[in-house]
Amino acid sequence: MKRLVRISIWVIVALLGAGALAKIALDRGESLNAIWFVVAALCCYLVAYRLYSAFVAARLLALDDTRATPSERNDDGRDFVPTNKWVLFGHHFAAIAGPGPLVGPTLAAQFGYLPGTLWLIAGAAFAGCVQDFIILFCSIRRDGKSIGQMAREEVSKRSGLIAQLAVLAILVILLGVVALVVVNALKSSPWATFTLAMTIPIALLVGVYLRFVRPGRVLEASLMGVALILFVVVAGQWVADSPSWARVFTLGGVPLAFALIVYAFAASALPVWLLLAPRDYLSAFIKAGAIFALAAGILFVRPHVLMPPLTRFIDGTGPVFAGKIFPFCFITIACGAISGFHSLISSGTTPKMILRESHARFIGYGAMLLESFVGVMAMVAACAMTPGVYFAINSPPSIVGATPDAAAATISGWGFPLTAQTMAGLAKAVGEQTLWNRAGGAPSLAVGMAQIFSNTIGGERLLSIWYHFAIMFEALFILTVLDAGTRVGRFMVQELGSRVWKPLGRTAWMPSILASSAIIVGMWGYFLYQGVVDPLGGINSLWPLFGISNQLLAAVALVVATTILLKMGRSRWIWVTLLPMAWLVIITMTASYQKIFDANPRIGFLALANSLAAQVAAGRIPAAKLMETQRLIFNQRLDAAVTAILALMVIVLIVEALVQWYGILSSRRQALLHESPYVPTQWAEGYSGIAQGDD
Amino acid sequence: MKVGAKNVKRLARQFWRGIREWCGDAAYERYLRSFAARPSITRCTLSAEEFYVEQLNRRYSRPSRCC
Repeated sequence: MKRLVRISIWVIVALLGAGALAKIALDRGESLNAIWFVVAALCCYLVAYRLYSAFVAARLLALDDTRATPSERNDDGRDFVPTNKWVLFGHHFAAIAGPGPLVGPTLAAQFGYLPGTLWLIAGAAFAGCVQDFIILFCSIRRDGKSIGQMAREEVSKRSGLIAQLAVLAILVILLGVVALVVVNALKSSPWATFTLAMTIPIALLVGVYLRFVRPGRVLEASLMGVALILFVVVAGQWVADSPSWARVFTLGGVPLAFALIVYAFAASALPVWLLLAPRDYLSAFIKAGAIFALAAGILFVRPHVLMPPLTRFIDGTGPVFAGKIFPFCFITIACGAISGFHSLISSGTTPKMILRESHARFIGYGAMLLESFVGVMAMVAACAMTPGVYFAINSPPSIVGATPDAAAATISGWGFPLTAQTMAGLAKAVGEQTLWNRAGGAPSLAVGMAQIFSNTIGGERLLSIWYHFAIMFEALFILTVLDAGTRVGRFMVQELGSRVWKPLGRTAWMPSILASSAIIVGMWGYFLYQGVVDPLGGINSLWPLFGISNQLLAAVALVVATTILLKMGRSRWIWVTLLPMAWLVIITMTASYQKIFDANPRIGFLALANSLAAQVAAGRIPAAKLMETQRLIFNQRLDAAVTAILALMVIVLIVEALVQWYGILSSRRQALLHESPYVPTQWAEGYSGIAQGDD
Repeated sequence: MKVGAKNVKRLARQFWRGIREWCGDAAYERYLRSFAARPSITRCTLSAEEFYVEQLNRRYSRPSRCC
């Protein structure tokens, strides 16, 4: 009887999810309530978790709770720490949730709400969650080894090298592109720039408190820091209203780019306790709070989605970024559906802290579902604003026109009515000088979030405060990615440098620290600079490059997972990793080909370089712009070369994997697994990892 | 009624412990406990300050934040 009730409940959940999805897909009315998105996503996630992840856990991985995990065998209270599954879920989610699931769906909203939403839900359930879960399992069985080490041991040395290079490539491109998102959010905005600038002294203060006053008391120090940050969000309005102070904090794209480069260099070279760690704590608290508030706001306000399900830009002529729905929707939304970067976290800290093998399902699969839900909420926030406003914020002037009237006429001509007065009124309401040409996703998401928040608390009166709170929230944790990423990149450069000259590998030697920090900052700083001066807005070139490199790393992770499963004798179920991997390879290769060779200069790097070179040769470029044009030509060719290298790495990886798999399946190669030996657990069944008596 | 209050109290205590574990407040206590559980180790324990700095240096030398 109980079983029948259980089955009935799951059938109802599945039917509800299918009904909500059908409503989203087939509705052609004026607008659609956002609650349908929430219901569709939650029901699909519940069914996917209950059925698909259970299938993967039981049939593919055969999780074994009698086996001691690395945290039990190597417990040292430092790296290997047995941790309660809810606490570890929080750690893991905080680590994987970055700006990607917010910015990607916001940019992909130019195709309409439907393709992005479907990809977010299906991509997460069948690809992203599977990748995170299986890589976490593989790493647990190997004492917490990294994806690079596993690729080297289980696939081949060359695959290990590709994984390392992919990590470095993704890091450099990621840092360049997220920095560009921050620059576009802060450009000409004294309020936002002041607020973000003030987070630096606040972080320093928290750092000193945690180091010297109350070592390790993160909770109290972070709460103090968060209170100060909320105060400076409000104080930013006074700065923006003061003509002399507003002038100090009104910066253009290039000065902001250099400010970020200097900041990241300092954060990478300074002691980690002083700036980087306290900023990370503040960011984690504000991130958790803002994501929770956005979910609550959407449920409370239940906004109507005004963007159509599909826009005319599925044909590849989109103003936010150029390229058809296939493959660019799947490249643009990476982190909310599948992200290769997650495999670094799943094979980093988490496997060393997990208490039991069965927790890998909840933490690996479950945390990625939650990240996907964040992506769906970002999509709702972006699509809940008037489409004309969305395109006005995200389109560069080279596409829509340089003056407000011209831009409004262009956007209205696309079928999204807009007037210059609407934009001026909105900018005034959110406390900005202008909202035109703010590509990057952050400002439009902030407008969407602010509208939802202000409809919940405060109304129109608080719109400007909510807007700047949202900008601060996005910029704060992008900066956390920036400084933490620069520091990790510094270590990678030092490790590579030590192969040439041993002392370069000494991580505490100041000349090596400064040189390696300068190298890594120089690499991503170059991409940032080219994005800032790009007449097409930068995002058009850099975001697809980031998507390609991220999906390349996901392909590496799925190759490793497939190889390990084959060695475990699970060839019958190999499609679980093989299909998402094949899909990723197809979209990565198609996008790479189009970004390099497409004849449309807005899509193909070489086409734009050649078109600019032809203009130079014909003498159509004024002498004053000649240098700038030459630099643009070089940048386009550089981007084409980087894309080609990434695509080549995918090809080498696939050939390498196919040779391996053929060897294993035909028994020509010994299927040698590099798992740690089985050790039975000593923990009682009810042990939860929560320490007793520490309250 | 008493049982309900007891359960609420127990849940609140568990939640508080979870929050302290999540944000890192309980890390040093856990380290000391782990150290005490292995009497075979002879090296000195780190002070709270040393442990804090050492832990941060290790955490931020590998990818800890995603895109």
